[in-house]
Amino acid sequence: MITNLHSFLHQYFTVHDCKVITENDTEMTIQLTRDLDQVLMNRPFYWHYMDKIGRQGEPLSLELDTNTEKKDNNKEWIHYGSPRLQQIFQHIKQQARYTMLYEEKDSLNKSALLPWLVTNLKVQYAGSQKKEDIYSIGLQLINGSIVSNMMNQIESIALQRVMSDYSYTISPIIRPISGFNRIFQFVEDQLLDQNWQWAIESEKLLQEELKLVEYFFDKQEDNQDILNKEKERLHERLQPKIIIEIINAGLFYLKEETTQSIINKART
Amino acid sequence: MRVPVIKDELFVNNYNEATQNPAHLADWQLFKQSYQIAETMKIASFNKLVAPKFLPHMEFLPHQLACAENVIQKMNGRALLADEVGLGKTIEAGLILKEYLLRGLVQKVLILVPASLVNQWVLELNQKFLIPAASSGKRVSWQDANILITTLDTAKLAKHRDTILEQNYDLVIVDEAHKLKNHKTKNFQFVQQLSKKYCLLLTATPVQNKLTDIFNLISLLKPGYLGTYEDFINNYREQKRKIDEDPYLKQLISKVMVRNRRSDTGVHWTSRKIKTVWVSFSEEEMNAYSKIEHFFKQKTALSTITYLREFCSSREACYLSMKKWLQENEATEDPDAIEVLETIEQLPNHAKALKLVEIVKQSKEKMIVFTEYRATQIYLQWLLHQEKIPTVIYRGGFKKGKKDWMRQLFQNQAQVMIATEAAGEGINLQFCHHLVNYDLPWNPMRLEQRIGRIHRFGQENDVIIYNFATKQTMEENVMNLLYTKIQLFENVIGQLDQILTDLNVQDLEKEVEQIFLESKSLGETKIKLDNLTSVIQSYQHNTPSKEHIL
Repeated sequence: MITNLHSFLHQYFTVHDCKVITENDTEMTIQLTRDLDQVLMNRPFYWHYMDKIGRQGEPLSLELDTNTEKKDNNKEWIHYGSPRLQQIFQHIKQQARYTMLYEEKDSLNKSALLPWLVTNLKVQYAGSQKKEDIYSIGLQLINGSIVSNMMNQIESIALQRVMSDYSYTISPIIRPISGFNRIFQFVEDQLLDQNWQWAIESEKLLQEELKLVEYFFDKQEDNQDILNKEKERLHERLQPKIIIEIINAGLFYLKEETTQSIINKART
Repeated sequence: MRVPVIKDELFVNNYNEATQNPAHLADWQLFKQSYQIAETMKIASFNKLVAPKFLPHMEFLPHQLACAENVIQKMNGRALLADEVGLGKTIEAGLILKEYLLRGLVQKVLILVPASLVNQWVLELNQKFLIPAASSGKRVSWQDANILITTLDTAKLAKHRDTILEQNYDLVIVDEAHKLKNHKTKNFQFVQQLSKKYCLLLTATPVQNKLTDIFNLISLLKPGYLGTYEDFINNYREQKRKIDEDPYLKQLISKVMVRNRRSDTGVHWTSRKIKTVWVSFSEEEMNAYSKIEHFFKQKTALSTITYLREFCSSREACYLSMKKWLQENEATEDPDAIEVLETIEQLPNHAKALKLVEIVKQSKEKMIVFTEYRATQIYLQWLLHQEKIPTVIYRGGFKKGKKDWMRQLFQNQAQVMIATEAAGEGINLQFCHHLVNYDLPWNPMRLEQRIGRIHRFGQENDVIIYNFATKQTMEENVMNLLYTKIQLFENVIGQLDQILTDLNVQDLEKEVEQIFLESKSLGETKIKLDNLTSVIQSYQHNTPSKEHIL
């Protein structure tokens, strides 16, 4: 969960090499980089023009207000649901789909890193209503151990894009692609235990509504087109289904002691 | 129970390729952030609204939240929103739309509204709900744009129609949906043909009046819900049943319709203060009034009342339409006619207009003045201008840009807005709380729409309504008999509407007009009007009113 939107945004901008010019608890001014200007400021013509005439162009700065209530200032109010935050969320989601990370280490002894496939999934129960669950699954790719709540387990571990010196990786025995299948299977097994009332109600409603439209259009032969359309839309709207979507996933190389502690915790 | 499970194969298929390319790989920080976003935005429960949490600047009223929950959970997104004027139907629709967007159940949306409301919808959805809705401009792309606001007339145009019908909409919203009550119209057929998952129809006009109206609207939402047209007509019309008398039908309808009344909302409403302003004609004016009456009674029994009504509004209104009548009837040479016209020409400023100037000057508050006639509108503007009182005028026929501009001028600069009837629908003037009914409409719905412009959510002051009436004219009769006796101003319209339906009075305005036309003397008019109002009145006493708000 995002517990503090302000620091979440601060992190987002610094990860993207933007300079935070001024900042207090609820406001910040950020000098954007060219990259983020192009992502967030929606002025493709400006950049196109600058490129055409061979100029550098000047990225804009953003003044944000992260108060939970709108204040009467000239700063842009940013909060859950605001288009700007949606835009930033989209950007993060799109950038952070895949990864490959290595656990940091500082000792000079040679040591092995073990491969994990970490997968975060969103399960959508979609019928007449909708609900979502989030799963974070870790699959150890050597011995096939599966751990849930993986993100919580590794949250505070230092991970980086390049391997530290004196580390070496052990190649996976389970290939990531088949790893995903194991993970899907694991999630599906969990689904069996849940309450299916929502799906039963949805299906019942669908059948009732189908009967109604058929009855209504039965006597109007020239309206078969509309009838088919209505039926199609009813299925779309009411047919219960479960969608398992992957939020993001990646190969994580973790130290042996980390691996051991994660598996031990999962056992207890 | 077997439920299909759809797995994200695409992600898996792209995995190998994506991990080969370092540019596609995320830092640990971003990877964590993306997971946090998913957790934060998760729809945790099937039935609790998430939208209010994401709109902390909005204060929703209990009935609006209840409406959205009801529509989403019980009605499955297909509903008729029929709240009384001013209870925030647009807010309810916006809230429902936002909820669906957040839940990922809706992406493509078509919103059909009257031309005068397009801008307001764009503004409200963007500012209040932070929904990136756009109006369909000249180069509209029905395929690409996700949330478009347009008019039925634009959508029906040959060049757009087919493309729109090819789209699969997740949600279609129709504002002022009473325009779809007839299933034989192009409007109805167009909306019926739209491919839509969810659908909201908004109307303030109570549709209980005619069973067929409600049948048609519901058939758009849930075809078959009330059976076929023929079944329905046979069942209900022949037996002359009414919705209220049929608990089964009432219950059926309550599953597709939300209708909040002011009294149900549990919210404190500012009250309406009604002031009747009696004006006396000068001797010359009285003289002209009699001449007009005399002249037309001789020539044509049919339209006397029209010219008298106009004369009670302004010299100009009557003069212009009388001239027109003379030309049409080739009577411009008629010495009687010339005499009447000359009498009108010589009159000084109209007594009612002078009274208006007096009230405007005394009150110093912003006022909206409604008149039925354009000629009166122009005359009043001229007169107030002479008195150095800044005014703006407003007409239904204005282009939307001009309407917005006029509203803004009124809010920031002018003291008085002079509006003709067509201003009734769609503009919100909560910043003003004085309203002048310079001429009274004979149709109570129109009266309610006028008042609804300022007596609505966001109005912080008591609303003061001045009703002008000229003594010793037909206005006096209408005022005394129609308005005062049945307490039209004090009561919210819903109740009267119900009564008229029960009494089988289709159109009160026509009824009144008929009485004036068919009566041979003033006495007869009075008696007939008195009878009409007595029936209404007795009905009012028999049905204890829930809707009395004073």
